Amino acid sequence: MTTHTFPDRARVDALDKVRGATQYAADVAVDRMTHAMTVPSEIVKGRLVSVDVQAARAIPGVLRVLTYQDFQDVAEAVLGAVGPYSFRTYHAMLSDRLIYRGEPIALVVAETLEIAIEAAALVTATYAPDAFSPNIDAEGTEVFVPEGSISFGDFDQAFDSAAVTIEAEYNHAAQHQNPMELISTTADFRGGHLYIHEGSQSSGAIKFGVALSLGLDPERVHVMSPTVGGGFGQKNSMQQQTVLVARAAMLIGRPVKLVLPRGQIFHMATYRPVSRHRIRLGLDAAGKIVAASYDGQQQNSRAETFRGAFSETAARIYAIANYRSSEQLIRTDTQSPGFMRAPFEHPASFAFESAIDELAHAAGLDPVALRLANQAETDPVTGLPFTSRHLVECLTEGARRFGWDDRSPAIGSMQDADGLLIGYGVGVGCYKAATSPVIARLRVSADGRSRISLSGHEMGQGMRNVIVAALVARLDIDPQQLEVIIGEPDGAPQHVTAGSWGTASVVPAVEAVADEWRRKLDDLRDGRSVAGNVHQVLFRLKRPYIDAEVQVLAPGQPVAVMDRLRQSLPSAVGPQYPEFVGLSFSAHFVEVRVEPSTRRIRVSRVVSVIDCGTVMSPRTAESQVYGGVIWGIAAALREISEQDPRYGGVLNNDLADYVVPVNADIGAIDVSFVNKPDPLLNAAGVKGLGEVAMVGVAAAIANAVHHATGKRIRSLPIRIEDVL
Amino acid sequence: MQPFTYSKAATSDDVIAALTGEGVQLIAGGTTLFDLMKLGIEQPRRIVDVSGIGGLDEVTLGPNELVFGALASMTDVASSPALQENYPVLAESLLKAASQQLRNMATVGGNLLQRTRCNYFRNGAMYACNKRNPGSGCAALGGVDRGHALLGGSEACIAVYPGDWAVALTALNASVDTQSPRGLRSIPLADLYRLPGQTPDRDTELAADEMILRIRVPAASYGRASTYHKIRDRESYAFALVSAAVMLDLDGDRVRAAHIALGGVATRPWRAPQAEALLTGQTLTPARALDAGRAAFEGATAGHHNAFKIELGARAVADALMIAQQRSTGQ
Repeated sequence: MTTHTFPDRARVDALDKVRGATQYAADVAVDRMTHAMTVPSEIVKGRLVSVDVQAARAIPGVLRVLTYQDFQDVAEAVLGAVGPYSFRTYHAMLSDRLIYRGEPIALVVAETLEIAIEAAALVTATYAPDAFSPNIDAEGTEVFVPEGSISFGDFDQAFDSAAVTIEAEYNHAAQHQNPMELISTTADFRGGHLYIHEGSQSSGAIKFGVALSLGLDPERVHVMSPTVGGGFGQKNSMQQQTVLVARAAMLIGRPVKLVLPRGQIFHMATYRPVSRHRIRLGLDAAGKIVAASYDGQQQNSRAETFRGAFSETAARIYAIANYRSSEQLIRTDTQSPGFMRAPFEHPASFAFESAIDELAHAAGLDPVALRLANQAETDPVTGLPFTSRHLVECLTEGARRFGWDDRSPAIGSMQDADGLLIGYGVGVGCYKAATSPVIARLRVSADGRSRISLSGHEMGQGMRNVIVAALVARLDIDPQQLEVIIGEPDGAPQHVTAGSWGTASVVPAVEAVADEWRRKLDDLRDGRSVAGNVHQVLFRLKRPYIDAEVQVLAPGQPVAVMDRLRQSLPSAVGPQYPEFVGLSFSAHFVEVRVEPSTRRIRVSRVVSVIDCGTVMSPRTAESQVYGGVIWGIAAALREISEQDPRYGGVLNNDLADYVVPVNADIGAIDVSFVNKPDPLLNAAGVKGLGEVAMVGVAAAIANAVHHATGKRIRSLPIRIEDVL
Repeated sequence: MQPFTYSKAATSDDVIAALTGEGVQLIAGGTTLFDLMKLGIEQPRRIVDVSGIGGLDEVTLGPNELVFGALASMTDVASSPALQENYPVLAESLLKAASQQLRNMATVGGNLLQRTRCNYFRNGAMYACNKRNPGSGCAALGGVDRGHALLGGSEACIAVYPGDWAVALTALNASVDTQSPRGLRSIPLADLYRLPGQTPDRDTELAADEMILRIRVPAASYGRASTYHKIRDRESYAFALVSAAVMLDLDGDRVRAAHIALGGVATRPWRAPQAEALLTGQTLTPARALDAGRAAFEGATAGHHNAFKIELGARAVADALMIAQQRSTGQ
């Protein structure tokens, strides 16, 4: 069914990546570089009484052991101004206050990494510990209720008069992203300029955040983040260590590099917090869902207001006239949680799509048919039209490809030749189709070279492929000599790349700057356009190059938002635009096979159909969906950040004990796209893809497990003991 | 890191001479030692590389016994077609361990001495651990004990022996040949591993100056009727939630002798004699296999999060018995 508008194109960075030639920020080496290592706190909460650095300092090759007292001059600036550049307001090592396990209490800087590690192990501290609340079930947590929960209609009345009702509570465990590239900062201060190499989804936030924290002119802070080894939301703001490393480089007068060890990332970095979802649904006699309530709780740290906006998507899938939601943040003594791929949409879809399955089961209805019969035509929350919506096609085409009609509805009624129980499950999802403003600069030269600079970060998702695809479709240039500069504020103002808005934001900008460039070329020829290779046209015109620059806004955005973009302040909009609501959609069909004796669950088959508007880069788009589906499998069946509440923090903080799937865990994954251009969001018809790919997978798995075993597992991850 | 010296030994006599010093550790594949050194658990002052010693990587599958040189790699042993054909329990126990890359490096002798994966043991000084720091206590007791022992634990330690190969070898009555300044000796695997008792810091009965030279396994004509059945949190590259090493001597449907050992649930490779006895002389049926599985876990002590392994383990043993039986008759 898929007809790609854009041709399949190999990853532009494929050759470098498979040869290991791609350089990530954590690989950077600069002249006279020193190495840093953090010393993690051993208590959860309290005050640092003293830090003994004598033994560490005595190690030959140790240059400096820094404690919070060395960062007093940055404390006020950071606490006062960092807010816009980080959704975390709390930054470690700025005072003697400690608020989470593993928080750094010292930064050792040494000639070599080995010396830094050895010396860090010798730093000791005395603490004045306080009682703490390690998790949402503990004593002493605080409840924070954010404003603006979504409610419409009259839930109570509709629920009370419904023919079939269900009520259930779903739980999602804490999980950590664990991108392959570790979190790192390399800072080099020379000639009054600060140069920072850091794998980030928000190089601009680092530029301005560090400048504010250290009292520097932002024009003197240069950040390089051309290639990120995976972000998934963990690298979407300035990190806690960035300012510390930058300050250390300024104090020592030599470049400093810090690569956080994997074990410390479980504490220093953000993660998907624990969440709880209590859902009630009411169905009328005609098979219409008439009432839904959604009470969500999400774990938070004491310092933050990071909310769990579960109903932003849950309320938009179905035409439910009466919807009520509430939201609570449960403040615990933990490091700040944050955005992890589909941060609210994935747990919300696990809960809501499980509940829909429970409703279908209770009413004796086919789960696909129930979903098809209750599709929202316009946005239930605002009443605005959708920009485009092909979820029905995702469901019907997915059901066809999967062979849903072969499903025998009775629990445990399907088995394979080896006696394994077979279960079929379905789950759908949506994710905002957001857009950020972009400034794009293009130079095309007569010598065959081209350079485009714009806002965007390559976290492995294929941003460069999309940019190349859009540009070569518009201008006849040599793609082999095209340089794409992203993740570098010196090239063009950088907005955070997150929220699946990357493609929908850069493609219109690339097209606009190409058109502007063409216009300038045509102006040279008195407005007469000419076909053919534009490098040759320039050569014939005896023009060494032409520059073009455009700024592109999201639909309905005021021009004033460009001032925010120039300071790298968050400026994206969506799903709600002035005149419409934009969402991407997904439907996932899952087959599980369950061993009858030891109850091992295997996901043997997944069929995913995605409505993300136009598919710009077929190969990287498919890859995104594979990744999303695999992560859905991981979230449903594998990943959990385990905690011993007596100690707080994360106990299984390494990749052996934090269980992510291996190849042997993954069966067949069939990916296809509706590939119909969105008519309203942008001229290219692009919506977002990266996150919607994952939304709905976990519920489809849990629903399939129920179909196979009769066990309704409402807490993720589902492990062997849950189905034994 | 702690500075250390490195030297390469040419003969086992060199090694024994070197082992008389303080703080000496042997290294072959290094897959465990480097990991533990990075964690600060092992802090050797001298490392003696034994990988160059000639003759210690030989494998002989003879009519009376199987002999595995301590330096044979896990990959080399596991990929032997004769072993896969005649003793699948041994080949599977290696193939279901670690990753291909680790198996290429790790040796079958070193594998026996890998240390527990207990998070409290591995995760630094803030956690009490009698194995790491004798007398400090055991944080695993009352903690996140999903991966901890139900069998063989003490008030001082409930850390699980993590390996697979030693479990299979224990089921097959294997022993190790060792060398020390006091000469050569042979230790049955059943005696090599210690129960933690009050001294969990000592994993084995090997002396500090003693080196494993080879592993011996008595040959069994019925070795094909065997399997290593490993249940884990993912399909590959994970330690066992529970595993069962099983080999059956069958006379038709009747069991002449059963060999059963458990992994992932005990403080050392765990032989299950009561399960074996229950099967001896009996006809093997699925129901009796499950009875044997349950018998294997008699006396198991569950913690907060690992009680499910009593049932899971019983079923794993039962499945393993049926697989072994099928291999006996079905080929």
